[in-house]
Amino acid sequence: MNFFGIFICLVTLFVIGLGFVWVIRGERYFGYLWWPYVMGFGIALIIGALFVSNNWVSALLGAAGASLIWGSTELKEQAVRGELGWFPYNGKKIDPPFVDVIKKWKAPSL
Amino acid sequence: MELNFVGLAAALATFFGVWWGHVSVRKIERDVVNLWVPTSIAIVLGLGMWLASTLTSNLPLSAAAGILGVTLLWDALEIAVRQPRRIKKGEAPANPNNPRHAKILAEYPAATTIDLLDRDPIGRQYSVEEIAAMKAGEK
Repeated sequence: MNFFGIFICLVTLFVIGLGFVWVIRGERYFGYLWWPYVMGFGIALIIGALFVSNNWVSALLGAAGASLIWGSTELKEQAVRGELGWFPYNGKKIDPPFVDVIKKWKAPSL
Repeated sequence: MELNFVGLAAALATFFGVWWGHVSVRKIERDVVNLWVPTSIAIVLGLGMWLASTLTSNLPLSAAAGILGVTLLWDALEIAVRQPRRIKKGEAPANPNNPRHAKILAEYPAATTIDLLDRDPIGRQYSVEEIAAMKAGEK
């Protein structure tokens, strides 16, 4: 029997669980407008995973990258959750570089 | 340099597992009256994926099946416990045509048929009055 997938899925479950935490905290302190950077970092991790020979590291990078891409699409809804009072709201967020350009783009939400 | 597709398989399984789970949990919980049926199906499929992941020697396939298995098992928890809780708290819209949701709407004052998340951020907190007005627009 091959237990590679079982171990990888448990690590992935932990990575997805971390995603809940960083989406909530990240949006609170930085705001949803960082989504292009988060998405770009996620894509970079997945591309990087293609060039890693160690299967465990490659799988971890891939899962982490996908979790970052998914999280980037959750940031907008999380911002609304904060504004609705479902989570603590922070009015002094740290804007990303090129914030005026990013504001013109439609934030993804799946 | 030889490309390693284990990470790509893990990434695709993670992203699509979470995405499809996210969408299907909301739709299934909204439409189905007896939640134990889809919950049981998700558990069986999840365990089946785990079994499949142990039976293949192909590492990308094993990783993808394992991850899809765990997302299906998480979906079972979402269908049975977490999404109904969101409906009761008004954090997800209730379906008045579903008798189970109709009962929730009658018993839980915070429950609503309005999707409060279906809007763009405005850069400030909503007042209690504004949220009440959003919910009042439902009838």
